[in-house]
Amino acid sequence: MASFLGGPNEHQLHLNAVIAGLMPGTRMPGWRVEAACASGGVAVHQAVRLLATYDPILVVGVERLSGLPGAELTLNIGMAGDVILDQAEGLNFPATYALVAQQHMARYGTRTRDLELISLKNHANATKNPKAHFHHKKVTQADIDAGVMVASPLRLFDCCPVSDGAAAVILSSKPLGDHSIPIAGSAVRSDVISLAQRADCTTFPAAREAAAAAYSEAGITASDIDMAEVHDCFTIAEIIAMEDLGIATPGEAVKLIRTGDTEIGGRTPVNPSGGLKAGGHAIGATGVGQIYEAVTQLRGMAGDRQVVDPTYVVTHNVGGVGGTCAVHVLRRSM
Amino acid sequence: MSSGGSCSTCGLTYAYDLAVCTSCGSMLEPLRVSRRVALAVTEVATPSIGHGDVPYWCVLAEAEDGHRCVAKSSRAVSVGDTLTEDAAAPAGCIQAVGIVGSGVMARGLVELMLSRGHRVVWVGRSLERLDASREKVVERLAKAMDENQTGEALGRLVMSGSTTALAECDIVIEAIVEELEPKQDIIRRIEEVVGEECIIATNTSSLPLDAMSLGMRRPQRFGGLHFFNPPMRMRLVEVVRGPQTDDAVESMLVQFAESLGKTSIPVAAGPGFVVNCVLMPLLNEAVRALEDGIAPAEAIDEAVMLGLNHPMGPLALADLIGLDVVTNIMDDLYGRLGDEAYAPRPLLKQLVQEGKLGRKTGEGLFTHTRPPVSG
Repeated sequence: MASFLGGPNEHQLHLNAVIAGLMPGTRMPGWRVEAACASGGVAVHQAVRLLATYDPILVVGVERLSGLPGAELTLNIGMAGDVILDQAEGLNFPATYALVAQQHMARYGTRTRDLELISLKNHANATKNPKAHFHHKKVTQADIDAGVMVASPLRLFDCCPVSDGAAAVILSSKPLGDHSIPIAGSAVRSDVISLAQRADCTTFPAAREAAAAAYSEAGITASDIDMAEVHDCFTIAEIIAMEDLGIATPGEAVKLIRTGDTEIGGRTPVNPSGGLKAGGHAIGATGVGQIYEAVTQLRGMAGDRQVVDPTYVVTHNVGGVGGTCAVHVLRRSM
Repeated sequence: MSSGGSCSTCGLTYAYDLAVCTSCGSMLEPLRVSRRVALAVTEVATPSIGHGDVPYWCVLAEAEDGHRCVAKSSRAVSVGDTLTEDAAAPAGCIQAVGIVGSGVMARGLVELMLSRGHRVVWVGRSLERLDASREKVVERLAKAMDENQTGEALGRLVMSGSTTALAECDIVIEAIVEELEPKQDIIRRIEEVVGEECIIATNTSSLPLDAMSLGMRRPQRFGGLHFFNPPMRMRLVEVVRGPQTDDAVESMLVQFAESLGKTSIPVAAGPGFVVNCVLMPLLNEAVRALEDGIAPAEAIDEAVMLGLNHPMGPLALADLIGLDVVTNIMDDLYGRLGDEAYAPRPLLKQLVQEGKLGRKTGEGLFTHTRPPVSG
């Protein structure tokens, strides 16, 4: 049971028992996992490691963010950052990733146009995903141009929406049928929480190390990845993710973006679901939803957004600004 | 804001105020705040609770020693700028706090500052009295902290009978008797020993700041921080701007108060600011009701609590504040405003004359069964 803001937003915690109330009489062991925006990925990882004890395991990610005034929601989401080092200084999440973007731009020459290309791609993908937040809304360059500044250089369409949502996966130690998809690698790493504690803000070491561990477990290298669902809570985060996952070397992700290599028909599609950017970011559900998308793609059931014959799909789920990162490698069923 | 520490044994640095290194157990040295340069800046246009005034700027800054911080600025900052005090998280610059006085408020302030991680220099006329008050502080801290934490907090406390101990303080708050001349005198003596950048604040609840700052060399670094009793629990701080207080100093006082978890309300240095200006006639009228035999003390308090939705009755509140303090404030406001509503009622004066000052002496408008509060 993965969820982040049930307490602050809804005054409802103890969500494993709330979920148990939806399955009266079953009395299965259950608990809630919280690691900010990485709650879902961390819950899946925990479940993978617990299969020796409990088998099968249902992982549910859920979040409701609507219905709260914006200023209060921004404060609550800020709980994913450090209350002393970040929140007290007004560093909300758009501002945090804005500073990341500023650093990436200064070091590698990344441009706002690159961020726009990511937004356009993910919004185009979302129109092909019936479960995406922006499925029915076609976002054009004109929409992006009209977007208000949120925290420079990030404008409205650089930011993921505030979404409600849920996702669920069932994990078992052995295939439950032909449609089962193997999780070949699963890793989580934690790191310091605030940007102020990092020597370098253009990469998240937790993501790099989680990726290395997950690839090692799966017996692959980054070049084997056919598709990725990454944590693009802001457009700049997709660039950081691609570089941390080894899909591109540092500073080079923009080249793949400019050439269309990360589009659905490209060499390494990134976020065919629309990602968090346009698919939506129902926080606790996100990491679980990424697994859902990976499985759907590997089953060849992704419809209009189907990537051609992927063998390895990687998911990348980040809490805060790299404080937690969960990476999973899923493989086509042999 | 946390100021951080570094370990000279294994070289690790921490953004938090830890006592010892988590790796080797050595005592940590506090990080010295040095010149900070802006590495990246974002202009934030979305408001959130506590940060409603937009735009503001968030700066990722690096000090000469490589230590980084995030700082909020109310004005535009460019990459490469050296952060001024305003931008470099002023509250973070206030680490050593001087508290002058040995009464109930001073003790409460010492407890608050220690619990918020500050180094505290506590100055009072009599070391004996401070020692007795220290026991109370220890008792209070121990309620919220374990033995190690209490020990660590007390390790940050220095007590002295002389103002010279205040020399290294970033801010000094005087909380001595609520009378003008002693306050003028102590403020001058504080100013003689502290550094140029030190802020001097008065905890006065109503006295005129212009009179208090007469003869100061740096009146622009003087202002009011009116905490309420008990400071640990009461959420309001009236931040009082004196006639010569700098804008930057006022905003540092606001941020300092907020860093202590308080809500700050900036007020002009008019008589009684907001709270006492409103409160004193209420207390006085409650005493008049008692004098006139309208109802017994308990009943007056209960009527106000239930009828006005106050958490405490006015007579009990007067006893908590101290009847001597209440009459001093009233005398001062009456003198400055000439309004009879502020002239202390005869019963108040009589009780003060009899030494019945309220909770701290065990008797005032009520008889208090709890042992008198020392100090």
